[in-house]
Amino acid sequence: MSMTGWLFSTVSVIHYFSFFITVGGAVLVDLRVLGLAAKSKPLTKVADQICPWMWIAFWFAILSGSLEAATDAGDYLPNFWYELKIFTVIISAVVVYIVQKQIPKWAEKPAIPAGAKVLAIVSGLLWLGSILAGVELPAITGLG
Amino acid sequence: MESSFVMPLCQYLQFSWWATDIRESLWLYPFIQLIHFTGLSLWVGTNIVGDVRLLNLGKKPQTAREVRDGLFIWNWIGFTIVVLGGFLLFSSRATIYIVNPAFRVKLFMLVPTALIWHIFLQAKTPSWGQGADTAAIGRVAGLIEILLWISVVTAAVNIPNY
Repeated sequence: MSMTGWLFSTVSVIHYFSFFITVGGAVLVDLRVLGLAAKSKPLTKVADQICPWMWIAFWFAILSGSLEAATDAGDYLPNFWYELKIFTVIISAVVVYIVQKQIPKWAEKPAIPAGAKVLAIVSGLLWLGSILAGVELPAITGLG
Repeated sequence: MESSFVMPLCQYLQFSWWATDIRESLWLYPFIQLIHFTGLSLWVGTNIVGDVRLLNLGKKPQTAREVRDGLFIWNWIGFTIVVLGGFLLFSSRATIYIVNPAFRVKLFMLVPTALIWHIFLQAKTPSWGQGADTAAIGRVAGLIEILLWISVVTAAVNIPNY
């Protein structure tokens, strides 16, 4: 599969824009769990407001990223940094899903449990790690 | 554009110790990109969550005003991180970026327009977004902001094509 210039640019715009919303949304939910963002607003309401958009953006990012990788699949797929990026994204998505599902339980407690905060920190760091793996890919391998 | 002070300023930035370090290091450049993209995730994420609420789309557990108030600080922390990362990335190849048409459209036209629009929208959201349904003008304003930031990203993605 090959894409003309404008088509590749369009897919890149979708990829950047959707991953900004995905990572931004996930980190904001993590920051709320940590009590560092929107503290005056109820945890469940903040999560309900952000999470649906985070997941819509996530699937846009996956779809557009897959299209980009498909243009050079033979180079991307066996590449260590590409594999690391995909692995980190999957783990990040699983962890933020767990955070989202646990939020109603955490919100019922008088204070957000320490374990929840640890999970939120792990989630935030994983998303930053997935960006880092993504930018290492072109820097080290010239791909992308 | 390249008046008597712009190009010398770009040369000064490009040959500063920090820009030289970023340009010549294999691992430092991606870390600066990480700073820029982390800021962008916070900035674009907070903006779009606010905009879609202004548009009355999806779930509405909070009013547009509540969304704006809750995310306000991280919105501008994100912007500060974007500027820091962007300045360092620009410094590393300032004389090349400054003559790039897509970069110039991005930095001198689209970013100022989108930024002014964002500040205006953020100032007006408390009155537009008090109730469950946003005022019609707020919905239009939210849609315009989404389109403006998409245009900024479009210009940025096209920088390597020039």
